[in-house]
Amino acid sequence: MAAGCSGRSQRAPGSFLADQQQEPALSGDGSKLALIVDQRGRPTVQLKDLRGGGRLPLRHLNRHQPHSSPSLSWNGRYLAVIIQRGNRRLVLIEDRLNGRAHPLRLPSGRNAVRLSLAPDARQLAVQTADRGRWQVELLDLSGLLEPDRPGGLRRTTPAEAQP
Amino acid sequence: MSPQRTSLSALLLALSLMGCGHSGLRPQPGINSALQRSADSRRWPSMGNRWLASIASRNGRERVELVDLRNGQPVPLPGINQADAQPISVSVSADGDRIALIRSRDGRTELTLYRRGVGILQRLPVEPAGVPREVSLDGTGRLLAVQVSRKGRWDVDLIRLP
Repeated sequence: MAAGCSGRSQRAPGSFLADQQQEPALSGDGSKLALIVDQRGRPTVQLKDLRGGGRLPLRHLNRHQPHSSPSLSWNGRYLAVIIQRGNRRLVLIEDRLNGRAHPLRLPSGRNAVRLSLAPDARQLAVQTADRGRWQVELLDLSGLLEPDRPGGLRRTTPAEAQP
Repeated sequence: MSPQRTSLSALLLALSLMGCGHSGLRPQPGINSALQRSADSRRWPSMGNRWLASIASRNGRERVELVDLRNGQPVPLPGINQADAQPISVSVSADGDRIALIRSRDGRTELTLYRRGVGILQRLPVEPAGVPREVSLDGTGRLLAVQVSRKGRWDVDLIRLP
C-alpha cells in the first residue's frame, strides 16, 4: 500500500539551463551525479559535483556519442556509460583517478542496452537483447578495476601487493 | 614450428577461450544462467554491493525482483508488486534495504520508496508536479535523483529522504 512520505526536494545543478537532463545516476556516497545532456543534438554524459558545485572533467567522453545509461561507483572514481563506436554499442568505464579508459566488448557479443555498476565496482550488470528478449548479464570486474569503497580505502596496500 | 612457439600459441588460444581477450572482463556463468532461467525476460538492472534489482517478466507479467548475489536467489518483497501496477524504473541502495520504484497505476505514474526492513511501499511527492520517468538512489538510500517531465522538458530533481 502506498503511503505519503515527506522528503526535501531540489532541482539538480543546471536544471534551469536550456539543456535537458536525462538518465540521472548518483554515486554511492551521493556526492556526484552523472547525467545525459543534449549537446548540439548529441546525447552526452556529464558529471556534476553535488557538494562543491560545478561540472567535473571527463577525459574520454567528449566523443563516441550518443552516450546512454551512465553509472557511478561509490566515490565516483569510475563512470561506466554506453557509447557508440561504429555500429556497436559498447561499455566504456572511465577511471577518474588515473585517467584510464576501459572500453569493454561484452563476452556474449551482444550490444549493451542499459547498465549498472556495483557501488564497489566489483561487478557490472548489463541489459542486452537476445532473440527478442531482454536479458541481464553480470560481469566480474575484479580482474580489471580496483575496488571503490566508502572512504576510498583500498583492499590491499602497495606493500601487501608485493610478492 | 618450434616447440616454444607451439606452446605459446596454445597458451594464447587457451587464454582467449577463457575470456581473457575481453580485457579482464569475466562473465559469471552460474548466476547468469540462474537469472536467465528464472524469468522470460529481464530488464532495468540496478546493482547493490551484493544485490541485483531488476524488472523481471514471467507469463506476461512484470515484477520487481531483488536477487541475493551470494546464492542467486530472489528474496521476498512483500507489498512492492501489485496486480494493477506496472513497474517502469527501479534502483536499489548498496545494502539492498531500500528500493526506489517508478510505477504506472490507475493511469498515473508514481514515484515510490520501498523499505525492505519494514515491508512498506511509500509514495514520494514530485514537486512541482511532473511525470517521473527514471530514478537513481545513492548507496545509502538517503538521496534520490529522479528524471521528471515538466511542460515538455526533462528535469532532474534531487530528493533527500529521512
